[in-house]
Amino acid sequence: MSLNANSADVAFTFKGGMLPMTVMELTSADPERIRRQLAGKLSQSPAFFQHTPVVLSVEKLDEPHLALERICAVCRDHKLLPVAVRGGAEPIRQSAWALGLGWFAPVEEGRARALETVAPLNEPEDDDIKPATAVSVTTRLYRGTVRSGQQLSAAGSDLIVIGAVNAGAEVLAAGSIHVYGALRGRALAGIHGNTQAGIYCRELEAELLSVAGNYKRLEDIDSQLLGRSAEVHFIKEQLEIKPLG
Amino acid sequence: MAKIIVVTSGKGGVGKTTSAAAISTGLALRGKKTVVIDFDVGLRNLDLIMGCERRVVYDLVNVIQGEAGLNQARIRDKRVENLFILPASQTRDKDALTQEGVEKILEQLKGDFDYILCDSPAGIERGAQLAMYYADEAIVVTNPEVSSVRDSDRILGRLGSKTQRAEQGLDPVKEHLLITRYKPARVTSGDMLTLDDIREILAIDLLGLIPESEAVLRASNQGVPVTHDASSDAGQAYTDTVSRLLGEEMPLRFHEMQRKSLLSRMFGGSRR
Repeated sequence: MSLNANSADVAFTFKGGMLPMTVMELTSADPERIRRQLAGKLSQSPAFFQHTPVVLSVEKLDEPHLALERICAVCRDHKLLPVAVRGGAEPIRQSAWALGLGWFAPVEEGRARALETVAPLNEPEDDDIKPATAVSVTTRLYRGTVRSGQQLSAAGSDLIVIGAVNAGAEVLAAGSIHVYGALRGRALAGIHGNTQAGIYCRELEAELLSVAGNYKRLEDIDSQLLGRSAEVHFIKEQLEIKPLG
Repeated sequence: MAKIIVVTSGKGGVGKTTSAAAISTGLALRGKKTVVIDFDVGLRNLDLIMGCERRVVYDLVNVIQGEAGLNQARIRDKRVENLFILPASQTRDKDALTQEGVEKILEQLKGDFDYILCDSPAGIERGAQLAMYYADEAIVVTNPEVSSVRDSDRILGRLGSKTQRAEQGLDPVKEHLLITRYKPARVTSGDMLTLDDIREILAIDLLGLIPESEAVLRASNQGVPVTHDASSDAGQAYTDTVSRLLGEEMPLRFHEMQRKSLLSRMFGGSRR
């Protein structure tokens, strides 16, 4: 048996991917309460509710049984598409599978706490970048050089680095990343799926740029942009890099 | 009280041991009582560069394990007064080093000396970690090439987080950049990183610049630290480096390509 199939015979290939995913963390198991809250959100930002895939997180709930089918129906009524369930006891897992949903193991404590602090996802109604809606209340400020092998993370906010991010270093933020210096390492903004997050730097030499899981490697970046100040945004399903100012 | 200075780089073969030998010799020549410790357990080299390999009886590991006293293990340099060498063990490995043992040795030496130089092994593992842990200052040895610069950057990150000073929230380790094996001609032709490139990436103060020199190779093989070769470019560059380490202002030399005179070009005169 050979694993190397003829490329003409291949109907598909499996690929690992990191896709931005909205997690809907349930704090109530009551479908009616969920319905009321969704209705309120829908009127605030209708653009968000366009068959958006969501993962239902039931980790915060202490109930072994859940009216999962009804909750899913409520979501679909509001143009949210439940694709999987995260956490919960065995009966919940079984009913997720029965409904054709995936099941994820609950995340560890530390990560769960980080996720709580993320600013609520807020889709723009048009293509204008409105920084005020993307920025959460807190910001992590770091002064100095982020050196090779170091990882600097703002799990619940924006990140500002006053200094350079050197090759082999990695900076991550739930929100935007600002580097007042050369960005030579990897920068990942919007790590929990905030597509409005941006990356701004004084000198672009980055190994990798990512906004909400959409990335470009150094090799993919137009060499004319390198060595200059630049800003990076996710616009029209693409990572757009342009000179700053 | 002695100042503890680690000579480190991350990458191997950039000139840590050569620099540790040359700088400790330079400090002793300036009248500072100095001891240089080889932390490269298992790959002992410092004794060769210092030309005292035939006089090694006990080593660092013997002292840590209580098999010998410090005064028995340390070797007095034959050429300069005030200079001592504490060799590494060739038969053990780095696991033989313990944090408590290293701390005890440094505490003992501190009272007797002005400067304690720790010659770090390459890498970021145990030997390198212990060599830097108690340091007050660090000399980061870097070659003008990207891999060396990146490894130095990594080491600088660890100096800021994995040292006693960092862990106890004291003043940070004072970091110095020492660029070695610099070839102005190859830098000018774009084959090597420039002095400014390296300084910009690493963003620390430049302590010295040592040109690539035949004198270094000769010195290593003869077991005479290159500082003694006062007529050589590398010897002079290390002497300048030591002066800066002692807080003196020295102009930078050997970083620009020297124009050959017409005569030497015609007759192929070579630089010593």
